[in-house]
Amino acid sequence: MYPKEVEKLLPLVQKPGRYTGGELNSIVKNKDEVALRYAFCFPDSYEIGMSHLGIKILYSVANARPDVWCERVFAPWHDMEAQMRQNGIPLYALESGDPVKDFDLIGFTLMYELCYTNVLNMLDLAGLPIRAADRHDLTPIVVGGGACACNPEPMAPFFDVISLGEGEEMYDAFFDLLKDCKARGADKQEFLREAAKLPGFYVPSLYDVSYHEDGTVEAVTPRDGAPATVQKQVISDLDKVPYPEKFVVPYLEVVHDRVTHEIMRGCIRGCRFCQAGFLYRPIREKSPDTINDQCRALCDATGYDEISLSSLSTSDYTKLEALLDKLLDWTIPEKINIALPSLRVDNFSDSLMEKLNKVRRSGLTFAPEAGTQRLRDAINKNVTEDEVVRTSRMAFRGGWTAVKLYFMLGLPTETPDDVAGIADLAQTVVNEFYRNPDKPKGKGVTVSISVASFVPKPFTPFQWEPQDTRDMLLEKQKLLLSSIHTKKINASFHKVDVSFLEGVFARGDRRLSAAIEYAWRHGCKFDSWDDSFQIERWEEAFRACGLDPLFYCSRRRDFSEVLPWDHLDFGIRKAFLQKENEKAHRSETTPHCRLQCAGCGANKLNGGNCDALRQSLVS
Amino acid sequence: MRCVRVWFHKTGPIRYISHLDLMRTMTRAIRRSRIPLWYTEGFNPHPYMTFALPLSLGMQSECESMDIRIEGEMENGEICRALQGVMPEGITITDIKDPVLDPKFIAAARFRVSFHNAADPSALLQNAREMLSGDSLVVQKLGKKGHKKVMKEIDLLQSLQSYELRLEGETPVLDLVLPAGSVNNVNPALLCDEILKLDPGAYYVITRKQLLTKDMEPFA
Repeated sequence: MYPKEVEKLLPLVQKPGRYTGGELNSIVKNKDEVALRYAFCFPDSYEIGMSHLGIKILYSVANARPDVWCERVFAPWHDMEAQMRQNGIPLYALESGDPVKDFDLIGFTLMYELCYTNVLNMLDLAGLPIRAADRHDLTPIVVGGGACACNPEPMAPFFDVISLGEGEEMYDAFFDLLKDCKARGADKQEFLREAAKLPGFYVPSLYDVSYHEDGTVEAVTPRDGAPATVQKQVISDLDKVPYPEKFVVPYLEVVHDRVTHEIMRGCIRGCRFCQAGFLYRPIREKSPDTINDQCRALCDATGYDEISLSSLSTSDYTKLEALLDKLLDWTIPEKINIALPSLRVDNFSDSLMEKLNKVRRSGLTFAPEAGTQRLRDAINKNVTEDEVVRTSRMAFRGGWTAVKLYFMLGLPTETPDDVAGIADLAQTVVNEFYRNPDKPKGKGVTVSISVASFVPKPFTPFQWEPQDTRDMLLEKQKLLLSSIHTKKINASFHKVDVSFLEGVFARGDRRLSAAIEYAWRHGCKFDSWDDSFQIERWEEAFRACGLDPLFYCSRRRDFSEVLPWDHLDFGIRKAFLQKENEKAHRSETTPHCRLQCAGCGANKLNGGNCDALRQSLVS
Repeated sequence: MRCVRVWFHKTGPIRYISHLDLMRTMTRAIRRSRIPLWYTEGFNPHPYMTFALPLSLGMQSECESMDIRIEGEMENGEICRALQGVMPEGITITDIKDPVLDPKFIAAARFRVSFHNAADPSALLQNAREMLSGDSLVVQKLGKKGHKKVMKEIDLLQSLQSYELRLEGETPVLDLVLPAGSVNNVNPALLCDEILKLDPGAYYVITRKQLLTKDMEPFA
């Protein structure tokens, strides 16, 4: 419920439903009966935040505790922010309408680098100092998590605590500690020192960073009993960990408006460019019975008519067909559609396609990522052209007339031939359509190629690689366009300025926080939105702070260099990543984890267990 | 398969969801209720659902109706109870009836507008009274000419079929009847915005109370 003063602003803004709360299944508690109030902030619009599965999971986990009330907060859009500032209304939480600054805990999900300015803006809109050092009281404690937490250094000065890993189980001890500190009147420093001892919680202010003259990191030194490395926490059994029984059902149309079910965590593939493929190891699968029961309960509680089975590579789930059979038993009569987002071309089968076709047909998307076999080997994508062709043929015979293919430009070792190869591969798929004798009459084919720019990320074998400069990427985009000779292929490209900025922050260090603050103070926010993105402001920010962005994104790092995130342990051994990097430069592949364990080291996070390891021993 | 008309109120914060959002909300609520909904038999099966007269964003209503098609035997009372149990806050199912009139017979609507946060409620009331008893009140309105959007001028007092102004406690209240429906529709917000110009700190809440035919009979 929104504060009373907001009433007269709502008719003045677009999509006021973003700011009213009151959605089905949102959780309202009595604030006098809880010990901790937790404002869970998503630093982007309502529509993006409400699509995020992590928020749904952590919202239900935190609210399962009777002594904690977790509420949602999203970044108000430009028009609403202007109204709030003009009328002196601070950022409020959607369930209670209470000001965020009065909460005990403020959590931010750091999903992508371009949301950083929104974090500062939301803290400011709440009426709080943006830097942790300027917030002296015990509460609110500002904590960050999510994918970018693997290298939170550019944001470190703004956060009190960063949580590393999977939040389902680790927050209990954290809540208890804060509750205890509040009760006995402990100060913020005492709380932070204690929090640093909890597994998976990183307190940036307890680590001093020193730099060499050339600007690289010399050392990261812990203080006040903080551990030398902080290890990411994982849950061991997906079947035993709580999964939401209900999703908050938004009124507005959001990006992913359906039941999403995570069927597996981790990925067996080891594609060398893919951060998620390494960050979320080890592999853990959920059982078909658990998934089936939870999907059914969620459909009953929400009324959604679509289920998305999500994971990093859904067709690698070992019991996929058995799971689909169970689900289809009740989803067909109830007219519920099943979507499988991340499919691979090398294990897409006729029977899988038939099952997908049962209720409604959605688009088909595959990701060859690179245009030639040589480069696909270098990035360890392990997909062959024959497999792409075979899968397209199957899809066209199954009645599809449009296929989407994902590629990347700027991958390490890429040559002009590799770029032109993207067009060739797309052309081969077009030709395959016309080779189909049963193709629908009067219908053409559309092959859409979506081409991203490669951004090297921490904890991947490419973490030492220079990112292609914007000029290099634009040159490659031109080359690719000139290699396409048919209107049946649509190419779309990611904006190179955006990839550049993402690249700077992905592997940045603490000094970048000055540029983030400068850019925000000069009007940057919603940087991931085309119409809000202001590259000139960012370039000005780097200049004003005396920082060279190319030092961060387009410099080849030495294997011996201390990386800004070396004190954070995500299980993957650095030596393993280096070996994978060297293999990439020799265009050598590494078999997937079920064929042969590559010894990445992530199973140590899970008591030595990894589902892929077990499965490889069985077969 | 038979058609039933679901009558409901839309009040409180949920008035800030649009017509499209309401349709999605209703589809999901009906799925949760498990009443035997009839689906179109196409490549993309979907339920049949049509609203008498879409409500503007921000307006409350005590006279909303939507027609849905159901399969099998289920009495109206049973449908009503099933739907009442699954609605989100702010949507209240009041009745299920067999449709009597086609929505094309809707010609007017009765509204109640309350003004809040006024600097001086009785001054606002007095000013509004003078404005409404004038000869004309011409405003600009974004209209359509074919597919093009053009600004049109309309005289609101020509459209105003009847009205009553009064104070309810400290709250100025305006009851009014305006043309509504697919042929000629005048949004009461146009008039309320004019009244608000007299007191920019105030805001108003519009409630649609009743849909009427051209003979001023209630739409049923």
